[in-house]
Amino acid sequence: MAKSRTVALLALLLAATAGAATRPQYGGTLRVETRQNAQTPDPPPLLGPGFQITRWEAGKLAVYEADENAAGGRPFLNTVEIQLGRTLRDQASDLDLGKADVVESGPNDVRRPVAGRKTWSSLPVRVLALVCSPRLEDPRIREALALAVDRAAIHRVLLQRQGEVSGALLPQWLSGYAFLFPAAADLGRARQLSPGARPITLGVADPAARPIAERIAVDARAAGLAVSVTAQPETADVVLLELRIASPEPAKALTQLAAALNTPAPARIDSPEQAYAAERALLDTFRVIPLAHLPDVYGVAPRVQGGPGITPSGEWRFENLWLEGVRP
Amino acid sequence: MSFRARLIVIFTVAIVAAIAVVDLLVLGSTRQAFERSEEQRANALVLQFRKEFDRRRAELVRTVNAIAASDATRNIAIQPDASPYFDYAAPQAATHDLQMLELVSPDGAIVSSAQWPARFGYKEDWLTTGEDWQARGAFLRREELPDGMTLALTAVSTASEGDRRLYVVGGRELDREFLSTLVLPQGMRVLLYRNLDGRFTPGDLIDSAGPAGNAAQLRPFIELVQAERREHSRMIGTGAAAENFHAVPLPALDGTVLGVLLIASSRAELAALESSLLRTGVIVAAAGILLGIALSWWAAARVTRPVRRLAHSAGLVAAGDWNATVEVSSDDEIGQLARAFNRMTGELTAQRERLIQAERVAAWRELARRLAHELKNPLFPLQITVENMLRARECYPDQFDEVFREGASTLLAELAQLKLIVGRFSDFARMPAPEIQNVEFNNLVAETLRLFTPQMEQAQVQLVTRLDPAVRSMPVDPEGMTRVLRNLVLNAVDAMPAGGTLTVTTAAQPDGVRLEIADTGQGLTPEECARLFTPYYTTKSHGTGLGLAIVQSVVSDHGGRISVESDKGRGSTFRIELSAARPQG
Repeated sequence: MAKSRTVALLALLLAATAGAATRPQYGGTLRVETRQNAQTPDPPPLLGPGFQITRWEAGKLAVYEADENAAGGRPFLNTVEIQLGRTLRDQASDLDLGKADVVESGPNDVRRPVAGRKTWSSLPVRVLALVCSPRLEDPRIREALALAVDRAAIHRVLLQRQGEVSGALLPQWLSGYAFLFPAAADLGRARQLSPGARPITLGVADPAARPIAERIAVDARAAGLAVSVTAQPETADVVLLELRIASPEPAKALTQLAAALNTPAPARIDSPEQAYAAERALLDTFRVIPLAHLPDVYGVAPRVQGGPGITPSGEWRFENLWLEGVRP
Repeated sequence: MSFRARLIVIFTVAIVAAIAVVDLLVLGSTRQAFERSEEQRANALVLQFRKEFDRRRAELVRTVNAIAASDATRNIAIQPDASPYFDYAAPQAATHDLQMLELVSPDGAIVSSAQWPARFGYKEDWLTTGEDWQARGAFLRREELPDGMTLALTAVSTASEGDRRLYVVGGRELDREFLSTLVLPQGMRVLLYRNLDGRFTPGDLIDSAGPAGNAAQLRPFIELVQAERREHSRMIGTGAAAENFHAVPLPALDGTVLGVLLIASSRAELAALESSLLRTGVIVAAAGILLGIALSWWAAARVTRPVRRLAHSAGLVAAGDWNATVEVSSDDEIGQLARAFNRMTGELTAQRERLIQAERVAAWRELARRLAHELKNPLFPLQITVENMLRARECYPDQFDEVFREGASTLLAELAQLKLIVGRFSDFARMPAPEIQNVEFNNLVAETLRLFTPQMEQAQVQLVTRLDPAVRSMPVDPEGMTRVLRNLVLNAVDAMPAGGTLTVTTAAQPDGVRLEIADTGQGLTPEECARLFTPYYTTKSHGTGLGLAIVQSVVSDHGGRISVESDKGRGSTFRIELSAARPQG
């Protein structure tokens, strides 16, 4: 009898303890870091319903606080601090040292899993592409460059298989026809097109993307193109860019990408065929050479609960997150 | 050039030549010693380089083996997908102080590259040829880098785990840092030519400071070493900028010369040494020459002093001082010469005295002969006349008066002749001292010739006078000079018994006048010419032989000179040269 009571008490205690561990807690400050370097007076996008911005230092810091009167109820978190302009290396370091709770993850972080650390990943929502400046006039050279790049090697090694190789602007999950755009390298054809090419400069602003640029230079060299990598994209012949797919609708996404790439806006798109034709028109001149589509990947500290904090399209949704071990 | 000057020149030349020879020998031996020293230093440096090279090869092999044997590398070897390790090599290379490190999969694909991280996936086919890399050790290899080719000391090891393998290729660049680690003696430098693209490129020649400056100059030498694949030595450059280069070829696995190590030894030190020696040599030579000149001056003076005394004495002898002697101050050849000279002058003096004695006797004999001859002619008529007169006194007394008158007349005539002969001899014995006065020489000649005009017409001698109007007045004794002209004209007329031409010429001379009297007579033999001015010598049957002796005496009293030229059968020319200077009394 006593034994059965003891077991019952122990069961109650365990149940109570388990409930405390999984139950959302109010309070605490979620520290987020991002590479984004918004110099504009406008603060970065909202974190979803329930937060309002209370402090904005352009390019450095944004502080959001929970809205007690939010329509869907008050978020668990009291505050979200977002530090801007942090490199991937700094972010990884801050996460390791416990100075940050949510950081962006690069491929290197993906291949170094840390015990207890969580990862949030979206669908491929960013396109990695080479964008040729008007100075690179010869379409044969642009095509040679497009054919020279070994996207598979970049995807396998440098991107650690994050995202997907692509020759299209819109990802397969969004357009459904991305596979129609060739992504395989053809060094033989590239070598046929490259004779007479002048040296080309490849600009890359993000140091994290420099290895990709270096690899592109190696591939181009194998095709007979002399490509040198520079950190000044504004003066380069070709720029390695990462563009976000801003809309889940192909037509809007394509239009926004065209605007971002400073190319003519596609005509009205009402069907997948028109979208394909518009994208084909954008890519036929090889002014834009898509390389891969990449997801948003975040490394998350173990104390962050209630995730994932991003949607499949990569938007932040922090209203359901809470921090373990904080006092209300 | 005097004997003394010649001796000085000879001594000086000998000294200069000796100093030059010594200087050249010193320079040559110095150069040889320097060359030997340079060769030894170059050989030592080559040896040092080889040791250093071998040490680095061994160290590189050890390092690469250590990386290959590490757990991390072996772990990569067993991974089915090594792509997460694409950046493994760079930190490993940094840790092990390697400039190059690659992990290569068994199929030759680069897994990770330190020197060119972006080349993952590219093939290194040379690794998969089946070579036993462990046994090969370190070797030279051209390595392609993002910014171009380089030359690297490379070693290959294999990381094995079960049946999985991974090539580990490590290397260190042969560059200026490598050269800067070689300890060099002063005056030496090391250059490395890296044959990076199979053809000569000046930028591929480096030293410890970067690209070497004299690549074009070294190109033929480097190409020679590459072609012959063996060590060579050569001096390149000129003057103080010249350097001795010793070249060591650095071959690759296939024997291709991938690099040439050039050990340069500056010749500036030698040039400075040579310059210093030359400078010292010049100073020593100059001092030696000066000293030599002084010594040779002194020595020549010592050597030539007795010779000069000999020459002086010989000059005195030549001038007529037969009593001149030389002081004998040594027993050497010069002393012997002086003694011989003294003996010779003594002999000459004795001979001359004997000759004078003989000549005096001969002269007296000649004089006696002449006197006898001259006196005998008038004496014979005197004797005949006196005998006729005695015979007439005895045999023809009636005719005695007539005979006596005729005889007395004859006696008086012959006595007058005897008196004349005695007077001539007396005149020659008592030549009066010349009374010098300035005389218009041409006038004197013309006046004298005028006196002989009737005689020459009678003898059918044509007179031709060529008197130079430039002849000025001359300081002569008019009486004596008239006697000279008279004797010469009479001799010329006598020389042309069948007539002829007498040519009298005066000519102004820079320091006087020249008088020539030429006939077209029978001429004289050389023997006659030689004895012509000897007293009492005559070629005429009626002459006393004193005329030309008197002429020579007068000319000599005027400080002049008389000579004769004659060809037998063509006539004779007497030439008198008188000086405008007043003769010394």
